[in-house]
Amino acid sequence: MKCGYCGHEFAEEEGIRGCGKCGKPGRCSMVRCPKCFYENPPELKMVKRLKSFLKKEKS
Amino acid sequence: MGLFKKKASCHSVQAEPQSSGKKVVLVGNPNVGKSVLFNALTGSYVTVSNYPGTSVEVARGSASIAGGQYQIIDTPGMYSLLPITEEERVAREILLNESPDVVLHVLDARNLERMLTMTLQLIDAQLPVVLVVNIMDEAEHMGLSIDIPLLQEKLGIPVIGAATAKKRGLDEIRQAIAGFDRKKHAVFGYSKRLESDIDSVAQLIAGDYPLSRKSLALLLLQRDEEVTDLILSREGENAAIAEMVREKIFERRESFHLDLSMERKGIVKGLLADVLTIPEKRKVTFSERLSRWAVRPMTGVPLLLVVLYFGLYKFVGDFGAGTLVDFLEGTIFEAYFNPWITRVINGLVPWEIIRELFVGEYGVITLGLRYAVGIILPIVATFFLFFSLLEDSGYFPRLALLVDRVFKRIGLTGRAVIPIVLGFGCDTMATMVTRTLETVRERVIATLLLALAIPCSAQLGVILALLSKAPGALLAWSICLLLIFLVIGFLAAKLMPGETPMFYMELPPMRLPQLSNVFTKTYTRMQWYFMEILPLFILASVLLWIGKITHFFEKAVEGLSPVMASLGLPKEVAVAFIFGFFRRDYGAAGLYDLQTKGILNGRQLTVAAVTLTLFIPCVAQFLIMKRERGMKVALAIGVFVSVLAFGSGYLLNQFLLVTRLL
Ligand SMILES: [Zn+2]
Repeated sequence: MKCGYCGHEFAEEEGIRGCGKCGKPGRCSMVRCPKCFYENPPELKMVKRLKSFLKKEKS
Repeated sequence: MGLFKKKASCHSVQAEPQSSGKKVVLVGNPNVGKSVLFNALTGSYVTVSNYPGTSVEVARGSASIAGGQYQIIDTPGMYSLLPITEEERVAREILLNESPDVVLHVLDARNLERMLTMTLQLIDAQLPVVLVVNIMDEAEHMGLSIDIPLLQEKLGIPVIGAATAKKRGLDEIRQAIAGFDRKKHAVFGYSKRLESDIDSVAQLIAGDYPLSRKSLALLLLQRDEEVTDLILSREGENAAIAEMVREKIFERRESFHLDLSMERKGIVKGLLADVLTIPEKRKVTFSERLSRWAVRPMTGVPLLLVVLYFGLYKFVGDFGAGTLVDFLEGTIFEAYFNPWITRVINGLVPWEIIRELFVGEYGVITLGLRYAVGIILPIVATFFLFFSLLEDSGYFPRLALLVDRVFKRIGLTGRAVIPIVLGFGCDTMATMVTRTLETVRERVIATLLLALAIPCSAQLGVILALLSKAPGALLAWSICLLLIFLVIGFLAAKLMPGETPMFYMELPPMRLPQLSNVFTKTYTRMQWYFMEILPLFILASVLLWIGKITHFFEKAVEGLSPVMASLGLPKEVAVAFIFGFFRRDYGAAGLYDLQTKGILNGRQLTVAAVTLTLFIPCVAQFLIMKRERGMKVALAIGVFVSVLAFGSGYLLNQFLLVTRLL
């Protein structure tokens, strides 16, 4: 994914997530850019599934 | 910054991954699209683990290409085979230790000349290199033309032009991996003198290594410690190498690095002759022009105002908080849903007090759900849509550069744009992000300003909706907040000792927002926000209901009425302030309710909106302040903000009464 602030490209796993300390009920699922710490919303599970499905179809 | 630190653990050394098959290693500078390519090749089976003995994470995944199984390894960014950072060291370790079958060197077509030197080093090392010239689309946009077949001919390795983010070139990359022929590789000649130096060292190296002797000799001559250790440990008593290296280094003294890099640059120049064509006068694209406008104060400030006017005022204020809220709240809830659910509950529940809980004045459904769905939802939806559009266009870093000059005056740098901009989303998370600022001073100032003058998205939306019906009030509100933001920031910077650090940021290119990105981001943010507020709204309704049945609420309103009176406000407004303590947007929504009942005139509306915006951050934000800055600072900010809010409200009211402006 691409950071919405600094444009840094990183794999979703590389991002910093789930700090769980902001006091919000439930878990905030945002992915923080490892370079500038900007909060990026992660790709929807649905979209991800669709993408991997299309990829499988193709190959 | 402890929280953000990557987990460094030397115990997470993983057993070699399950998948056998050939190994493909991705290398290249940071930000050339390696991760995108990695994801495109691997799909979902990916493990990320620390590289043994380091805090650097390495991703591995498997891929099936042309019927064969491959293990794909993504390395941290590296600039050269001679490592400087820990990341680079790990990347080279992988090249040394994992004996890759294919090394995909990914580089940025826009910086071909700078990045090709590493390709030379990889070829020198006789690694099985496939070159991926990525980001071709944007290079073409800039008017650069790159003759890929010619470059391939000159380099003697497979070269593929790609734009992995746009899925261009992926099939060719897969083909190149599947059909890779190790035997073919080019050799580049350095100057006679350098070649003979390299040769005299390389000849003495006897053992078998994953890198070529030439490359090892070069690294030895550059005094690479790890390679020196490696050679010493393998070659044992062969002291001749060390002696020869010492001699050659002595002959060339300090000039070796410089000579080598000059020669490499020369080779790259030769390679790029006829391959890379740069237009005489480079075409300046519209996005580049827009980018320049956005950063320069003369054009940037008007542009910002245009963006705010159309984005916030017209779209969020007029359309979201006006049209949409009127429909959802006014028509759906007030006219249909609330009367219906009230009838249903009244018919089902015989006890007045329980009925009150659900459908009374502060009922969970008639108030909580109505506020959440009818007022907040359309507002945050339009706000997040606007926010995601701006974000995806790459505008925010430009905004950071634009405001850096002003921010310096208030003790902040452009870096603080992230927390401040995020504050318009939610001040709570923005307060947490202030820890990314460089100095404690900057952090405290940013925390204070967030608590004081930055309304969160929902509050902002509701207030915009409220005030857009009275343009004078909106203008007064904007001026008041901007003024207080700047004055308090300026004073805080004067009072707090310390320097303002430097700020510099590399600008990613501006682009047309992509619909799918904007949709995904808007949806995710909304989903997250809504899941968060709905229970809170319901909880707040319950608390208000308890307040009502215990008459605590009346007493609180009574108690606050002198304060309200001094602000020139009717005592009902106290309700909005009490709401606001639970959540900022709840308070604003309360004010919205009062406005629709026609209780407030223009002056009262302005005073109430300004005071409420300035007034105490919600409970969650206070707790975060306490955690981030400590109890003392949090309390000080809380007290200061409350006093300043009511003080400003009082003064504003007096001012408006005297001048009769509103
Ligand atoms: Zn970033």
